Amino acid sequence: MALTDFAIIRRSMSARLFSTVTTVLTVAVAVALLLVLLSMRDSGRRAFERGGGNIHLLVSADSDPLTAILNGVFYARPPRAPLSWAQYRAIAEGYPLDFAVPIAQGDSFRGFPVVGTTEEMFARVTPLPDRGWEFASGAPFTGDFEVVLGSSAARGTGLGVGAEVVVTHGTPQSKAAMEAAREHGEFKFKVVGVLRPTGTSHDRAVFTSLQSLWIIHAQDRLEQGGGSGPRLATAADLIESDRKITGIYVRVATRPGQNATALLPAVFDGLRKQGGFTVAQPKQEIDRLFAIVGNIDQVLVAMAGAVMVSSGIAIMLALYNSMEQRRRQIAVLRVLGASQGRVFGLVMTESALLGLIGAAAGVVLASVAILVVAGVMRERLGLVIDGTLPVNTALPVAALTIALAAMAGLVPAVLAYRTSVSHGLRPIG
Amino acid sequence: MTAALDISELSFRYPTAEPNSPATVSVRALRLNPGEQALLVGGSGSGKSTLLQLIAGLLDPTSGRVEVDGQDVHALRGPARDRFRGRRIGMIFQTFNLLHGFSTIENVMAALMFSAVPPREHRARAAALLTELGLDRHEAMADRLSVGQQQRVAVARALACEPALVLADEPTASLDPENAATAMDLIQSACRRHGAALLCTSHDPAMRARFERIEMLADLRAERGVGAAGGGAEAARSIGGAGSGA
Repeated sequence: MALTDFAIIRRSMSARLFSTVTTVLTVAVAVALLLVLLSMRDSGRRAFERGGGNIHLLVSADSDPLTAILNGVFYARPPRAPLSWAQYRAIAEGYPLDFAVPIAQGDSFRGFPVVGTTEEMFARVTPLPDRGWEFASGAPFTGDFEVVLGSSAARGTGLGVGAEVVVTHGTPQSKAAMEAAREHGEFKFKVVGVLRPTGTSHDRAVFTSLQSLWIIHAQDRLEQGGGSGPRLATAADLIESDRKITGIYVRVATRPGQNATALLPAVFDGLRKQGGFTVAQPKQEIDRLFAIVGNIDQVLVAMAGAVMVSSGIAIMLALYNSMEQRRRQIAVLRVLGASQGRVFGLVMTESALLGLIGAAAGVVLASVAILVVAGVMRERLGLVIDGTLPVNTALPVAALTIALAAMAGLVPAVLAYRTSVSHGLRPIG
Repeated sequence: MTAALDISELSFRYPTAEPNSPATVSVRALRLNPGEQALLVGGSGSGKSTLLQLIAGLLDPTSGRVEVDGQDVHALRGPARDRFRGRRIGMIFQTFNLLHGFSTIENVMAALMFSAVPPREHRARAAALLTELGLDRHEAMADRLSVGQQQRVAVARALACEPALVLADEPTASLDPENAATAMDLIQSACRRHGAALLCTSHDPAMRARFERIEMLADLRAERGVGAAGGGAEAARSIGGAGSGA
């Protein structure tokens, strides 16, 4: 095989291995940073926007609407204050609604939020605006002490249909707290269904009937009162104060096949005037959230851009510093018949190649980082975001990096172009 | 017969030189026939290296003409001149100027990169040349070879494209007399075998015995109109040099 321009470039890079590796790493970190920020911004927003499903409103006792949405729809934290069953009935029966599905949060199973609700959750609520629930196995619960696992919860616990589940009181935030937390071991729940992934926070949820949760808390009440003895609480033991919920998913009446409705503002205002709880529109709150973080996000992207430019400067410096050592090599190539243009091209190609390798390493780095960040966001915020790097983000950033790297090679390439052959060939020492 | 080298009324002055200062290189005429070998003798800084760079087309003359293998070198511009140099002129340097970080055979193949030889033949051709010159460590890194072996690589590289003319710039200046003799034997015999004319510069008087034709630089400047010295066959030749830039 003949010696090629590429072989010359490769030798030049390996001759300065430390400089080459550090330059590539600088570029890779800059590319990864930019890709993670861009990708997280887009997929985060998409996940938030779609995460509300077909819900028009959320009614919650949380103090402000944004917190209510983050806790009630995205399961960030269990809501702090409950709503009464009477409040639920008043809302469900007092307005023109497609549905009013109650939810009760607070308990957990191996760190996954347990959501008490009714069978309407699977019949009426859809996790995405345009897609309903799909079961990977089993079916919705139909009785007490049955659970349906979201896809992440099923994967995370390794459980499937037929498995037994014991609910933990509260939602411990640390491993130590989880070990210290009290389990409702006296009540065994059975997995009856596993959902397919929806790409929303519901994937982390463990759904069960409201009444099941009320019963285990009635057991607590009875034990504290010393009245239960060896007997387990049943539905017959429930009193009005046991029937607590933490939120209501509301969809205002719409025409079939339509999402928007003229009734929404009136229902929204009516609920707000009613008082005693917070009413939040998922879309509005998500817009508000992004209006708050939007500026920070732009600053971060600008900073990542600046890091990217500085990586271009690093390429230029690495090549510029190597020019003195390469003076002789360039002069020899010129004597052997290499034109000034070819020498210029060699340096430009080397520069672009540093950008290409850096961009490729950056894409790999970003892919790993996005998986990690997606995992952290799922754990901390309850936000299920796509953990893959979108090609339509990675490709333009990679192309931009290579172009920037080529530009960074311009000054060293001009130096190479102008290298004096007689100066370069002068005997050493 | 087309001359391997034909110089006429060549003059070169560095752009930064004083307007009335003598030319750095001034040659009224010099002709080398194909396969002919000549020694160009002159002291340090006399303009020998500058003349070789003018012949190779690495510098543009102030006036005059240099033809190599019938081609006016300076009539060619840019890449065409570089291509011509790569294909028809071989150069050997005092410090060999091998490409560091490249193997022995790659150093020879580097010369073929810019030739008209099909790429698939490069390796075989470079290997044959190295073997002919007594080197069998083709894959060894060039900077790990002995001085003598490096010299052989440099000669192989200069001859790789079957040039019409080989320019050797003080090829023995850094060698002891014994090694210098061996190196010159190698260069001269290899050029003869490949039919390349050789123009060798040196300020070493001991080199004169090796060449039938010797051109003195010191008193052969074109301006003075001094005629030829030495025993060459061509009548019209006079070479001179002064100033910096050698």
